[in-house]
Amino acid sequence: MNTDVLRKEYTQRYETALVQLAGAIQVQLTDYLSETPRIDRIGARAKTVDKFLAKARNKDDTGAPKYEEPLDQIQDQVGARIIVFYLSDVENVARVIERYYHHVESRLVVPDSQWKFGYFGRHFILLMPKGLSRPGVSKEHVPQFFELQIKTLFQHAWSEANHDLGYKPTGIPPDPDFERQLAFTSAQSWGADKIFDELHRSRSGQ
Amino acid sequence: MAIEYIHSFLVHPRKNRSDIRKIGGTAVPLNGKLFGLLDEIYSAAEQQCTIDIAFNPSASGTQDNACRALFIDYVGSPTLARGRRIAERLETVTTRRSGMGLLFLIAGKEGRDYKIVVSRFPTDVAILAEENREELSVEFLERVFMKNATAYKAVVYRHASLKAGFWTGRAVDRQINDRVAQISDYWIADFLVSDFEVTGAAGTRRLAQAMRNAARASTNLEIKSEIAAAVTLAKSLKGKKSTTLGFETLLNLSKEAISAINAQIPDHVDDQFLFDWNEFSQYLAYRSVELDNGAILTAESPDFDEVFHRDEAPGGRVRFSTVGRITSERLGKSKVERLGR
Repeated sequence: MNTDVLRKEYTQRYETALVQLAGAIQVQLTDYLSETPRIDRIGARAKTVDKFLAKARNKDDTGAPKYEEPLDQIQDQVGARIIVFYLSDVENVARVIERYYHHVESRLVVPDSQWKFGYFGRHFILLMPKGLSRPGVSKEHVPQFFELQIKTLFQHAWSEANHDLGYKPTGIPPDPDFERQLAFTSAQSWGADKIFDELHRSRSGQ
Repeated sequence: MAIEYIHSFLVHPRKNRSDIRKIGGTAVPLNGKLFGLLDEIYSAAEQQCTIDIAFNPSASGTQDNACRALFIDYVGSPTLARGRRIAERLETVTTRRSGMGLLFLIAGKEGRDYKIVVSRFPTDVAILAEENREELSVEFLERVFMKNATAYKAVVYRHASLKAGFWTGRAVDRQINDRVAQISDYWIADFLVSDFEVTGAAGTRRLAQAMRNAARASTNLEIKSEIAAAVTLAKSLKGKKSTTLGFETLLNLSKEAISAINAQIPDHVDDQFLFDWNEFSQYLAYRSVELDNGAILTAESPDFDEVFHRDEAPGGRVRFSTVGRITSERLGKSKVERLGR
């Protein structure tokens, strides 16, 4: 599928279904988590057309297109995020999510070596619940899945700053010292999360 | 509608058996009476299969499911060898209780979509009677496979993408023909490594919301009372698998009450789910009755009929009585505040 056709199809999907679905998911998550403590915020968004097209152009390690069928294969066309206070809250929220949604993927995203620091987060790929899209929207425009990330405040703060600093479209790759400093801030966030969680547990008698 | 391939395999009970046996299989010609029967099953599969199911991820949480992989492999290139792997998988989960079955794999294309119907006919015994002018002959048949027997099972999957699709499907399990009976784990959990698309908590919460909203919206006191009484009885549904309609039947709700509840969730009355008593009791924890003399009686839903004794009084009135120690009293501006909630 060429880029123009893909842009046209995704734009139609974005406008007719995705924006509304993101809103409906945010409402539903807020309802399901209404009794769960220490949630800082719950949000959901539809992936913008430009970001979708950029992702659809990604290549794999061999240089071949990563997504042959991007409209079906890209699973975060609707993405939701739950930010919680402490590390133990991440798993509490994850348990609630597993009760209400059928997941096809559940993983803890961590750096690939214990000697590295970078992105940390709990990710789910969840089936899009039936009945969330407004009446009359074609099934073809409703993605099968949505992505959910659960992160602590520190994990979220780090990933937002990292995204802003680390993915500037300058074309110049960051130098090793720049990357080391980013890793250092991740390590600090990791440490802060550990200590806050211990303090929380000691206060709550866990 | 275009069936492209049909393969059939005789599947024996071989759960927990390690010996290897090659499963007999054959391609079914795309014409004749058998094809006619299978064509009907293929065409009506989306209507006949009413249970929405979804494949589960691997134990480690990755997007891998052994059964889905076999189906996609077969649909991509429907050969006898690839179909046999599906039959082998079914054999490894088939117990003596499930018995021998005849498995049909029916693959086709519907526009852009790939479609596969997997159907298992149970084995049965029958008597063949043939009558001619002179005499009647009868013969005992040992291996007869009947679609309408009580153990017929099928599942249908349809999607345009073999890479990203085929995660959800629709199943039928005639072994549990009764709408409110348990779904057998053999077909959905063991063979398909799947679960209901609607989780127990989500389905139960939706039912509880619908019952609460129906009771609130109705101006008919009988319906309000009936729904409130059903909430009290709902504990008996704990751990049962059914649909909203099935649960309403189990709770002996009247047509009017069912209609009031279903109007709240018109697109979800056929959703199949496992009733989650904890979810239900959290959502509809309290039952209240308000009388025209200003009294409001509240108790935990499951205990309401035990906490309050009800007698009919003259003039269509009722007398409630209860005995206990006072643990708290509240004042407030509104009914909700007075109830302390």
